Amino acid sequence: MYAASISLAINTSVAKLYRMLAVLAGCLSFGPALANEVDFRTEIRPLLNEHCVACHGGVKQAADLSFINEDTAAYVVEPGDAEASYMLERVLSDDPDEVMPPPEHGRKLNAAEVDLLRRWINQGARWQKHWAFDAPVRQAVPDVPSRYAAWGKSFIDAFVLKRMLDTGLEPNPAAAPERWLRRAALDVRGLPPTPAEREMFMAELKEVGDAAYGQAADRLLEDPGYGEKWATPWLDAVRYADSRGLGLDGRRTIWKYRDWVIDALNKDLPYDQFTIAQLAGDLLPNATMDDLLATAQNRLTQTNEEGGTDDEQFRVEAVIDRVNTTWQAWQGLSFGCVQCHSHPYDPIAHEEYYQFLAFFNNTTDSDLSEDFPVVRVPKDPRQYSSARELDQQIDAVWKTLWEKADQLNRSESTWHSPEHLHASTNNSTKVVVEATGEIPEYQTRGNVAKNTTVVLECKPPEGLTQITALKFWGLPENPDSAKLDSEWGFVVSHCKLEVRDANADEDAWREVKLQRVLSDEPFPLLDPMDSLNAKSSRGVGPYSRMHFPRSGVFILQDVLDLEQVADIRVSIAQNVFALGAFPLVAHRGRVLFSGDQAWLDWAKPEGVWKQLADLKNRRKKIESVATPVMQQRFATYHRPSAVFERGNYLTKSEVVRPKVPEFLGGEPEAKSDLSRLEMANWIADADNPLTARVAVNRVWGELFGTGIVSTQEDFGSAGAKPTHPALLDTLAVDFVTEMRWSQKALIRELILSQTYRQSAVASGEKIEADPGNRWLSRGPRNRLSAEVVRDQALAISGLLSDKRYGPPVHPPIPDGVWNPFQGGDKWKTPKKGDEDRYRRTVYTYTKRTIQFPISAAFDAPTREACTVRRLTSNTPLQSLMTLNDTLFVEAAEALAVRMEKHADSPERQIEYGFGLAVCRDPDEDEVTRLLKLYESLCDSEAVEQEIQQRFALQQLAMVLLNLDEVLNQ
Amino acid sequence: MNHEQHYRAEWLRLQTRRQFLSRSAAGLGTTWLAGQLAASEGSEPVDPGDSPANGGLHFPAKAKRVIFLHMIGAPSQLELFDYKPELVRFDGKECPQEYLEGQRFAFIQGTPQMLGPQFPFKQHGESGAWVSDRLPHFSKLVDKVCFIKTMQTDQFNHGPAQLMVHCGQPRIGYPSAGSWVTWGLGTENEDLPGFIVLLSGGRQPRVGNALWGGGFLPSVYQGVQCRSKGDPVLNVSNPNGVSRDVRRKAIDALADLNQMNHQEFGDPETLTRIAQYELAFKMQMTVPEAMDISDEPKTIHEEYGTEPGKESFANNCLLARRLVERGVRFVQLFDWGWDSHGSQESESLNAGFKRKCEAADRPMAALLTDLERRGLLEDTLVVWGGEFGRTSMAENRGGIATRFVGRDHNPNAFTFWMAGAGVKPGMSYGETDPMGYMPAENPVQLRDFHATLQHLLGIDHHKMTAPFQGLNQKLTGVKPARVIEEILA
Repeated sequence: MYAASISLAINTSVAKLYRMLAVLAGCLSFGPALANEVDFRTEIRPLLNEHCVACHGGVKQAADLSFINEDTAAYVVEPGDAEASYMLERVLSDDPDEVMPPPEHGRKLNAAEVDLLRRWINQGARWQKHWAFDAPVRQAVPDVPSRYAAWGKSFIDAFVLKRMLDTGLEPNPAAAPERWLRRAALDVRGLPPTPAEREMFMAELKEVGDAAYGQAADRLLEDPGYGEKWATPWLDAVRYADSRGLGLDGRRTIWKYRDWVIDALNKDLPYDQFTIAQLAGDLLPNATMDDLLATAQNRLTQTNEEGGTDDEQFRVEAVIDRVNTTWQAWQGLSFGCVQCHSHPYDPIAHEEYYQFLAFFNNTTDSDLSEDFPVVRVPKDPRQYSSARELDQQIDAVWKTLWEKADQLNRSESTWHSPEHLHASTNNSTKVVVEATGEIPEYQTRGNVAKNTTVVLECKPPEGLTQITALKFWGLPENPDSAKLDSEWGFVVSHCKLEVRDANADEDAWREVKLQRVLSDEPFPLLDPMDSLNAKSSRGVGPYSRMHFPRSGVFILQDVLDLEQVADIRVSIAQNVFALGAFPLVAHRGRVLFSGDQAWLDWAKPEGVWKQLADLKNRRKKIESVATPVMQQRFATYHRPSAVFERGNYLTKSEVVRPKVPEFLGGEPEAKSDLSRLEMANWIADADNPLTARVAVNRVWGELFGTGIVSTQEDFGSAGAKPTHPALLDTLAVDFVTEMRWSQKALIRELILSQTYRQSAVASGEKIEADPGNRWLSRGPRNRLSAEVVRDQALAISGLLSDKRYGPPVHPPIPDGVWNPFQGGDKWKTPKKGDEDRYRRTVYTYTKRTIQFPISAAFDAPTREACTVRRLTSNTPLQSLMTLNDTLFVEAAEALAVRMEKHADSPERQIEYGFGLAVCRDPDEDEVTRLLKLYESLCDSEAVEQEIQQRFALQQLAMVLLNLDEVLNQ
Repeated sequence: MNHEQHYRAEWLRLQTRRQFLSRSAAGLGTTWLAGQLAASEGSEPVDPGDSPANGGLHFPAKAKRVIFLHMIGAPSQLELFDYKPELVRFDGKECPQEYLEGQRFAFIQGTPQMLGPQFPFKQHGESGAWVSDRLPHFSKLVDKVCFIKTMQTDQFNHGPAQLMVHCGQPRIGYPSAGSWVTWGLGTENEDLPGFIVLLSGGRQPRVGNALWGGGFLPSVYQGVQCRSKGDPVLNVSNPNGVSRDVRRKAIDALADLNQMNHQEFGDPETLTRIAQYELAFKMQMTVPEAMDISDEPKTIHEEYGTEPGKESFANNCLLARRLVERGVRFVQLFDWGWDSHGSQESESLNAGFKRKCEAADRPMAALLTDLERRGLLEDTLVVWGGEFGRTSMAENRGGIATRFVGRDHNPNAFTFWMAGAGVKPGMSYGETDPMGYMPAENPVQLRDFHATLQHLLGIDHHKMTAPFQGLNQKLTGVKPARVIEEILA
């Protein structure tokens, strides 16, 4: 922030800030350091980042100098001798042409900063790796003064207390048990305690004392609401939405992935497995349906279906998004800036970005509006394993069958070139025949029109007596450059083979029946057999882009005897018009013929074909939802990856191999040429310095409002330093070892800590000294998330449905909100009383360009890109929402009914409603005030008193639902 | 934010909240400017170059508020403002290869034909600006307007290009200009949202609310869409049967209970929330009042061509005036239907485009006249434009001549006009080549436009930054941007 770069003069109005910064400064040192020893990480690195790296860093290396690494700055630093160091000479210079930083770039370093630099160099100029790039090590639990012995129960408390006391703060006493219960219930499962749960907890407390907390925590963690609550931060991170984004923002059916996340959390799938499944589940040996489904995470990227958009451009953008999201969500680093240049602060080189991108660059998805590739995920999870088994059988049978034919296809002796090729088209597309190589081909000239059928007439190939198959072979205009810079592909919508006998009339063509189509890859996105269906525009061919020459083989129904045949005519209709702009017509095409009987033997519709058909029929009977997932490209057609100059995919330079970056340690050789699965294993490895820290910090941030590293999105050297580094590292190590990557175990540990149990009372002094509660001298009190605000209102009022999973729902929204660009995308609100109206918010249809109004008002992100931290605001639009929105109006009505039914007197009704809302009994003052409102709404001499009382209760209920205490943790 | 910045922000938040509570205003939280002021109070100036006389700003602000008229779809500059007599001669001829090399098009294939201007042009006013006969009302006002003929963008599909215009990035997730400005300066009227968005009805912008999103800025700075139909702001009306009096009583009770809660917990956010409920209660009056144009005199309705209760560009132009009059900082209008490819009647130069011009001409002229009459044009900046331009060639989608006349997307050159606060009136900046396809001189990038917009509001675009993903982000992005000094009055 700009305001922070100013120098502050001591003066009354900033004195308080100074005090605060002093408190802060006292807490910034890391580990044991000699009193006077300069710490590179905390004292020198920030100085370099602020004043030097803009010109001498990852982006620019003026004078070949970069302060990112020791060796690239060695020539300006003379360890042990500051006065001989060129760096200091330039910093101290009085000459405006010499001084560093140059006056137009920034201010001179002040005396204190120069002193730091000088001492650092004199002490030997020791460079240190950024703290987060070294693996965490468990730290010794600090001793706490004996008078606090009773306060802290866990090691967490000891770490927290130490830092708190160091800053001159004292801990708060524990919150009332009921307040803890409410806080924990909202944090763990996003719903308040029910009256029964409250009673049970209070009874257990009497019975077993403190152990009641643990029992309550266990129950909350076992509640299926846990997965629904904790799915939200994860869905933010992986930018989950039910629409495609950019362009048309059409509906995307990918809710099965959302259900997978909820389910994985509820099952407490260990975080390492959770990670591997989502990054590379498709590559796991014996991947389950769940593993495949988990990879849909990568398919949450945006698809641009706008007319005239380049599929390759947006495929690349999606791949880039996968790289950035992987780094942001799992490694807490903004890798995105390395797309254009080396990282400005952190030691990540430009080419390392593209080496990492190469992990994601060989999947078959390519910005297609159909969301290909998809897997048919059974609606009922109980059928996942049987469906997967069938799929595996089908794939195995087909693969063997396909390979047999492919072998034949690849044998050179199989195919024969035609003689006297002549080409024409049905429309304005111009074609000529070129025979530069051995095989004659047609080539288009000038504009290619949509719905082009290329008609190829020829004489039968010399030496061939019969035909059993023909092959259409489409080539890129430039096969060399297409490997890196793909061209638009082609689709054979229909293939027609005709022959004319010698001496026959000119138009006496007779059609020869075709029976099967074979693609040159086993699992193409489109069904090749569609090429035989005159009604479909789809069929065999590279859809929608091509990197390599590609072909399709058409097998005849019967042997065609060539004895009488004088002429052959092949019509290749290519009718796909991608994005209303690009005719998918091969610009170069060849046709070849085979007389090998083996084609017909292969195609015989018996035996294995029948087995295949049976398997497919059985699979079809399992009701399923086509869900986009990751699928590796067929190895033969792997794309090479290259560095993009300045991040622009149109200007590629050096070709790179998949590799993880150097700066996170490990053996460099062991990191080259890895698969996506190996990359996933590397991230989920216990030794990865960032994975566990980032995960632990995210959970901490969810519970306490701010992470131990407040910049949850940036663990790099420009991010915030941890307030409790020793605690973070110890928790990270524990999470991996003791807790075996169990998020539930981690949460349990945290919510049972005394730190979390503290009362949230904030004295004026504490607010002054520590406004953000970073030293945790009071319990957390943060505004609830949009989802919890809504779900809680439903729960308090009793409207909440406990229906779980399934397609997204459309609860009421104000008129005028729903006006999608694509008219077909309907918002169908269920009627009052239908439970789909009152589901947990996580099940609401998430459209990127039209945010659900409550989510928008309460700071939920729009899910276009990875978000790991929500900023909380406090606005009048939120008030309007919770006062007037249909959901809250219905909730207030329902709560009023609940209150009314529970008791007769307004006092009892108020007490009951109050208890439902905040899980405690109201004070006398609170009851009095609410009663006053009740009476002021009832005091006229009404004819219909009952109606009036109901109305008054509704207003009371509305007030209860809007209490600040309700909206906060 | 780094550690110190984080704390500093917390502290500033607290400071501002105190000021806010004592003034019982705000609702927007800490603006960038408030941060500047709080930081400079009694200490050294924020930057030696910044004069405290500018109230924390980097320059004297010529513009206090902005009205941005975006014609979604990209109107053809060649049929409105960029007159190219040479193109008349080339009409129907094959496009010279020099224009095609290295270019990417959305729909044009192979070698298209050039397309001459479809309407006659004339010079107008003392400035002699060329305007086609499609804008008879607007052409009378050319002496109040500054044209930029050489706007450029690097996106040639609508979605990304629209994002470029508003957020300076072709991707979703960055703050829009309106959000930057509101975050920067706050608003002059706390009873209304500071950044209001008005849509003409019909088709929605394809990237939806991302065009007025707050990105990584606090969500309170995102644009608030106000509607001519239904609630002008979502949920601004009380539920059926709840009178203003009943609501008053309920909010009073809520405030008292929240006050008790504050007594116990001391959380300053509770006090803010009490104030926000009060503000919401006020907005329930002020917003419908501001959005109700039925009290405007008949002459005004005639001037703008407005009909109360309708969703239209004309109504929105009048609303824009009413809103800036009430101190709204940034008013963003989106019209639709300007994508004249010629692939269908409604989107063709010879049919749909004519109707769009007819519908837009009178209200946009009326807006300028009305603002000037009220003395508002002096410190209100009005901007008009699309997300890119259109090609000098006719479209030949799918390799087939289209039934109607149209042009494809041209990111290389398009026209913006600006009027009012601090902009030189009666001038034209930048020249395109004789075909109107590329800038011949003085190209202007969208980031230059953003820098200029901020400059007029008193902000140095280099200096208003927000930290996000390890970078001090700014509206103008990382590539060098320049204030177009030549058009400043």
